Amino acid sequence: MDQKRILDSGKYLNEFADRINYLADIKGGLEWGSLKELLQRVQNLRSNMFDLREDELFVELDQIDRRLEYMEDLVAQDLSPIEVVNIVRSPQRFTLQDILENCYDSFTELGGEGECNIDPAVVVARATITRRVKNKIYYHQVMVIGHEKGYGEEFRNGGCAKPWGNEKALRYMKVAETEGIPIHSYIFTPGAYPIEDYPGAAQQIARNLFQMARLRVPVVAFISEGGSGGAEAIGLADIRLMASRGYYSVISPEGAAAIEGRIKEGGKVPRELVEHCAAQLKMTAEDNLKLKTIDRIIQEPPLGARRNNFGFFKQLRYEMVRATDEVVLQTKSFRAFRSYALKRQGKEKDNGRTFNDEFDIHIKWSLTESEKKRLVELRSRKYRALGKGYKELRQSVLSRLGHAVESVKQNYYDIRYGLLRQHSRQVQKLIEEVSSEGSVFLKTVTEPVREAYDFVFPKPKVANGINQYDPLRKSIFMQEWEQYISPLANEDKTVSCPNAEKYGCKDLWVPDLYGEFSGVCPTCGHHFPLEYQWYLENLFDPGSVREFNQHIISANPLKFQGFDEKLKKAVEHTGRRSAIITFDASVFDIKIVVAMLYSDFRSGTVGSAEGEKFIRACDRARTTRRPFLAYIHTTGGIRIHEGTLGVIQMPRCTLVVREYIDSGGLYIVVYDNNSYAGPVASFLGCSPYQVGIRSSRIGFAGPRVIRETTGADVPPDYHSAKNALKRGHIQGIWDRREFRKNLFEALMTMGGPHLYYK
Amino acid sequence: MQASQQIYSSPKKTATIFLKNIVKRDKIIIANRGEIAIRIMRACRQLGLDYVVVYTEEDRCSGHVRAATVEKGEDAAFKISNYKDPNEIFSVADHCGATAIHPGYGFFSEDFRFARRATVRNRPISFIGPRWEVIRDLGSKINTKRIAKFLDIPVIPGSDEPIYSEIEAEALAEELFQKQREEGIKRPSILVKASAGGGGMGIEEVTHLDVFRQVYRRIQNYAKRQFGDEGVLIEQCMKDYHHLEVQLLCSRHKEVVHFGTRNCTIQSTGRQKRVEVAPGFDPEYVHYPFDAAKVLDEIVDYSIRLAKEVEYDNVGTWEWIVTRDGKPYLLEVNTRIQVENEISACISRISRQKGPVNLIKEQIRTALGEKLRYSQKHITFEGTSIELRIVAEDVKRGFAPWCGTITRFEFPQEPWLRVYTHVPHDEPYEIPTEYDPNLALAIVWGQDTEEAKIRAKDFLTRTRIEGEDSLGKPIVTNLAYLKQKVDDVLRFL
Amino acid sequence: MDINLNDLLRKYKSHPYEDHQIKVPHTGTVRLHVKEGQDVTGPSGQWRHRPGTLLYVLEREGNPKRMTSKYTGTVAELRTELEGCFVQAGEPVMVIRHRLNKEEIIDRILREVLYVYAAPQRARYFFTPEVAVAIDKDRAKAFNIRPGDEVLIMSLMKRDSLLAYDGPEGVLYKVYFKHGDLIEQGAPLLGICAPDRLPFVEKVIQRIRTEWDD
Repeated sequence: MDQKRILDSGKYLNEFADRINYLADIKGGLEWGSLKELLQRVQNLRSNMFDLREDELFVELDQIDRRLEYMEDLVAQDLSPIEVVNIVRSPQRFTLQDILENCYDSFTELGGEGECNIDPAVVVARATITRRVKNKIYYHQVMVIGHEKGYGEEFRNGGCAKPWGNEKALRYMKVAETEGIPIHSYIFTPGAYPIEDYPGAAQQIARNLFQMARLRVPVVAFISEGGSGGAEAIGLADIRLMASRGYYSVISPEGAAAIEGRIKEGGKVPRELVEHCAAQLKMTAEDNLKLKTIDRIIQEPPLGARRNNFGFFKQLRYEMVRATDEVVLQTKSFRAFRSYALKRQGKEKDNGRTFNDEFDIHIKWSLTESEKKRLVELRSRKYRALGKGYKELRQSVLSRLGHAVESVKQNYYDIRYGLLRQHSRQVQKLIEEVSSEGSVFLKTVTEPVREAYDFVFPKPKVANGINQYDPLRKSIFMQEWEQYISPLANEDKTVSCPNAEKYGCKDLWVPDLYGEFSGVCPTCGHHFPLEYQWYLENLFDPGSVREFNQHIISANPLKFQGFDEKLKKAVEHTGRRSAIITFDASVFDIKIVVAMLYSDFRSGTVGSAEGEKFIRACDRARTTRRPFLAYIHTTGGIRIHEGTLGVIQMPRCTLVVREYIDSGGLYIVVYDNNSYAGPVASFLGCSPYQVGIRSSRIGFAGPRVIRETTGADVPPDYHSAKNALKRGHIQGIWDRREFRKNLFEALMTMGGPHLYYK
Repeated sequence: MQASQQIYSSPKKTATIFLKNIVKRDKIIIANRGEIAIRIMRACRQLGLDYVVVYTEEDRCSGHVRAATVEKGEDAAFKISNYKDPNEIFSVADHCGATAIHPGYGFFSEDFRFARRATVRNRPISFIGPRWEVIRDLGSKINTKRIAKFLDIPVIPGSDEPIYSEIEAEALAEELFQKQREEGIKRPSILVKASAGGGGMGIEEVTHLDVFRQVYRRIQNYAKRQFGDEGVLIEQCMKDYHHLEVQLLCSRHKEVVHFGTRNCTIQSTGRQKRVEVAPGFDPEYVHYPFDAAKVLDEIVDYSIRLAKEVEYDNVGTWEWIVTRDGKPYLLEVNTRIQVENEISACISRISRQKGPVNLIKEQIRTALGEKLRYSQKHITFEGTSIELRIVAEDVKRGFAPWCGTITRFEFPQEPWLRVYTHVPHDEPYEIPTEYDPNLALAIVWGQDTEEAKIRAKDFLTRTRIEGEDSLGKPIVTNLAYLKQKVDDVLRFL
Repeated sequence: MDINLNDLLRKYKSHPYEDHQIKVPHTGTVRLHVKEGQDVTGPSGQWRHRPGTLLYVLEREGNPKRMTSKYTGTVAELRTELEGCFVQAGEPVMVIRHRLNKEEIIDRILREVLYVYAAPQRARYFFTPEVAVAIDKDRAKAFNIRPGDEVLIMSLMKRDSLLAYDGPEGVLYKVYFKHGDLIEQGAPLLGICAPDRLPFVEKVIQRIRTEWDD
């Protein structure tokens, strides 16, 4: 007996060492408390184990155990956000593999196994999950999709999905849809692997979101480590659960600190700043529940679940079944769902923290056609209600009147397009001939180009003054002087073209460059950035731009320290209240709705206000049956200061875009200057028609982030429009000077007879 | 936005130009090379104006650099990287305090952006040439044609704006063929051009209406591919014509005079002029099947009409085509001084004014805001003048340029002869490979055409040019070709 | 083989430097940013996309242009009297004394081993488009060249003419010119190695590799 205890004590010592290391992980090193000394004691004990007397050994073991317990309680009492992040990152934390083994009864990995895998960071498995109802066992088939961080295996890539890994996930989501089985999605990723290789990190995430928006099976997601866009790639779900010691964030605390502290590449980011950012980002489960970006928290042990916390897995299994039940029941009837949900509450009260994993009833997870439809509708409703971290200014009477007009208009369009569609085609034809949208298409094929030409070389206009009837007083070049001229042109100096060495471009005189040349180097065609106002003036028919929803403004929903001042500065600098401008406009008389992200306001980052305005513009395009143009002057990604409220705009906006496109809308995205990260990986990248303006850069992460994540340098032209075209991210590259003409042609070619498919 | 318009129009600056009377304070930067630089220097000298020249590494041995440094010292010549880089010109201009820029011909002479920049920059510099708006508006052939049509000035029949519709194009083509047939033209033909093109690219001749559609589509596709604009121009294809020019001089005070006409029909295959003669026609020398004097009067009148309409304000050349039956058509306007300006000056006399006419001098004077101080009635014409352009080129091999080192360059000295060259007489000269191998310009004057011809040939016979290329082969020039072509001047062959 | 490798190596070992004169590309005002004797570096990074040390700023027409070093080496013959002065195009500003590294020594010595096809005229040179593509596509693969092959375009007096290669047949081992550069007559354009001499060339390279210490 004693001999066994002595042998067991070896096991204890190993366990002690694990516990000490785990605490060190959480506290960021052995320096905290007396961890180092304690570990030394464990190591000493291990080497002297057989030299000590038995009772001495047990006393020592007991002391260490008690000391450890004390320290664990101490740590658990006051976990800071950065410590939660450390828990998630600890190699001792449970992984998807543990869940598959402990929560599911059997599983078969699909699309690769272990290292032999298109992307070992993404695991897909066909699995069965069981439920006990009064001692009877029922089996459910599900598709499990998730990230596998592994226990230190290099090939798992820390759970960072490559584009083809996300593609694999999407492929099996579609399999699940075909088979009509629910999807359980497990998010364990610090972020997507930021490479542009085909199909590209951003493009693939966008495609996933676009499909998940209307996936016709229940999806339940569980978040342990929710790293921004990488999490969203498999995270658009009907119910989102989150581990109590998990984190879900727009960016890693270190990344946020580097941006906030303007730390140069390779520079040391102060630890205090990282901790500060971790707190500001509101990334814990409680924070996210408050922000409504998750639906429920699954309780872990106070210091987080490790791979041997079997009780946790038991609970997780119960919760996953439960959540799937709820999604299914919601599609059936509200009452069934209510009573089911109420029962659960009662049960929790009764049992407190110890719980019963038995179910009262068995619920089948297959859905009828009408239930599937309802499922998708409910998902739409759910996401539309999320992420509302913006402010609404009180509207004046006048604009409220405008709102009334809007709703009347909506009725008009509902009748015109909704009802008429049911009627005979002849009536519709008659409408076509009298309405502008229809008549545009009736013109001959040569007409458009002519119109385009007339715009560039208009017939001489009648001038004022003595020579009123003399057409010669105005040269054919008059138009260019009447047009908007960039304020950049107002300086007597020259600038160098970045391609001067390659193409021998001469220094450009600024008034020429930003005036007549539209910011384009006449030698090599390099596009110098121009302010967004230039596009407002030169892209659309003069006077046709009518902005709307100006009353939705950016705010600081997380109360991120220092952000109020930054926001104030942006407002003062731009005279605008968000990074997006949404408006009605026309291009050669074709009416379109436009959303424009521009650089001057917080680098065109997307937060709640931007997402909401985008959604409203997209809906407006849908109700008025107009093409929808997203012109991206620049976007720096999701606004980190809005945390997951910003991240949630990715699935939200994509979902609305999907609905627009499904209803027959023509959605065109044009990228200019720099377009990166979240927006590209969602509501922009999902467009079937994406175009880059020359000299623009398009991608998921910038060169610095790529270097820091992958350790590899990327070529200077890695994100160039030309390479984006090569990889198939965009369909073409447009010259700025021909933007208007190309846009018109694109609308004519890609649009249906009404510039709207159905 | 308002501010940026300000930079494009500066009424105050224009006013100062008008008020300025003492030209002598000006300092001219000569933004050109070779013989024109030398002629501009001479004009400056005559006007008592200071000047500086610029040169590139390749041109360091060029005569214009030597002449400038000999006369004004080392500080009168600045080495720049490229004659075609406007930034270099302005940089040197500011450094040496130049107040006016003479662009010569080629390079910036017809670059309205350069002229505009000179005028509107923070430190304005007078551009010796017309107002930039005029350069711009007459720089476009389509625009010029449009204005001419409005003023009832004959232009080559055809479209005066790009055509985008095939039906429209075909109708116009048919009309042009019909018109030529009515005029009794035996082999009528039309040209189909890409509107955005230039320099001979995207042009095809159509001789039968049947193939028009095919050619039209080809050019349209070409234009779309090449220039991104599928606009096409259609015009009558002119054959068998003389190339005439009208020399005008206008001041900033709405004064307009002309210095007669020139005939520049003799050209190399690349449409480069080789022998020019003034006046444009000489009915006393050769018989024309039309009233030549009347045609000359007509084209002068038309040219003046257009100049007045656009308020032209410097020297300019109106290029005309005159067909064998004496019909003139306006081709284009060159808003600059031309190489051959001096043959017009050579046959012109201004009463009450001493010495020969120098059009470059007049150009500088008027550009700096002076009045002409004479009118058309003070200008008379006397004799015939021929210009010969001596070029190191192989006429037999498609006028291929020759390059190498010139070891001997001698020509006679005569009172009836003026030779301009940047090639030094006293030391070997390597022709820079970066520029055209023009060697010299000879201007011959005679009491009448016959005498001018004899003198021209005499000059060519007595001129000696020797040199060899890197392989030791002797120099090739066009002296023999010029001698042969002198016989062809002013005749319809 | 008729070259004395030992002598060549000794020569380079006694003076392993190459001086690069830095001239201003165009007119403007000069502001120096280095000191005499200062070490400077050339462009770096995998794509040589990180510019070298800032040598001087040349300002013309309100455009201060940062002129960075194309070579790694030491600043010499710095003309401090030019500080703040207006200079003409081509004015020498300094010399950068560059210490040749192993690869460069190999390159220099190879010039004496390979058949060097020199520029017949002072002109601009280009590869014919097909050849340019072939060379670009697979740098590792040997590109064979035979007499009579039209490999280069010579651009002279605005006219382009095809140049027929007239040296011995062999492998294109080295390209000495930059596409479209103005090359002086007699300057090397291509380095060609006869197939049977390839082993010898490899041997020379091998020897320099072992004997030269950077």
